[in-house]
Amino acid sequence: MTTTISERDVALVDLVDRLLGGGVVIAGDITLAVADVDLVYLSLRALVTSVATAQEKELLPRMGEAV
Amino acid sequence: MIELYAITDHPGPPLPDVGPLNAVATEDLAAVCAPTSDGEVSPDALWRHEDVVEALMEDRDLLPVRYGTRLEDESAAVRAVAERYDELAVALDRVRGAVELSLRVLVADEPTKATRQEPATGAEYLRAKTRCGVERETAVRILHEPLSILARASLQASPRSPSELLRAAYLVDRPTVESFVGLVARLQSVHPGLRLLCTGPWPPYSFAER
Repeated sequence: MTTTISERDVALVDLVDRLLGGGVVIAGDITLAVADVDLVYLSLRALVTSVATAQEKELLPRMGEAV
Repeated sequence: MIELYAITDHPGPPLPDVGPLNAVATEDLAAVCAPTSDGEVSPDALWRHEDVVEALMEDRDLLPVRYGTRLEDESAAVRAVAERYDELAVALDRVRGAVELSLRVLVADEPTKATRQEPATGAEYLRAKTRCGVERETAVRILHEPLSILARASLQASPRSPSELLRAAYLVDRPTVESFVGLVARLQSVHPGLRLLCTGPWPPYSFAER
């Protein structure tokens, strides 16, 4: 992965989106069932400690307070 | 068991030296595959898979295969490709000569108004939500639309958090990648209140099935 602007951690979010949600579907065993993909997706996203995600997390409570 | 990585043209250039890869031909398409064993899905495993596809992408056009596609053996790969041969050939032509770039746009800072004055009532909350909707429309107009002009195709996905204004993918001709990234940098510099997260070039995952 050649990151053009952002760091590899930021790219992990985009990687997960693409590998688990994109690509051509060929008949065969897809190791991950749809429900599993969501779980893997959540657990991988939890590992992402990018600036962007930290920023999102930081903003969320403030939005919460606003409600 | 074998795992599929990509569908490419056959014959193609020699396979890169990134593992025990084999290209299994069906007419003028080839499925690039490698022996596989069950393993845990982890960021490292995903990156290892990605590294193989990117090594292939360096000197050939390809359709990346959905992660986790496993088949019994190479003759099963030939049958699977033959089943969808026409669609795969059309899809490979559609992405020929292009790569994918990803863009996510986040709000980098809260408006000073919001920090000064917290919405105390339901009406104010609704106004804040409407403002967020307007910001998303604006992000599409000032960022997505000009970038789309440089792309062969583009698509938007739903934002995943309140601070995410835009989540998009662009199919960009290889010679245009530099201009595209340059435009992203310029747009970032004129919109310091936003964070433009651009990654790539990726194999065309988002454009393989459409």
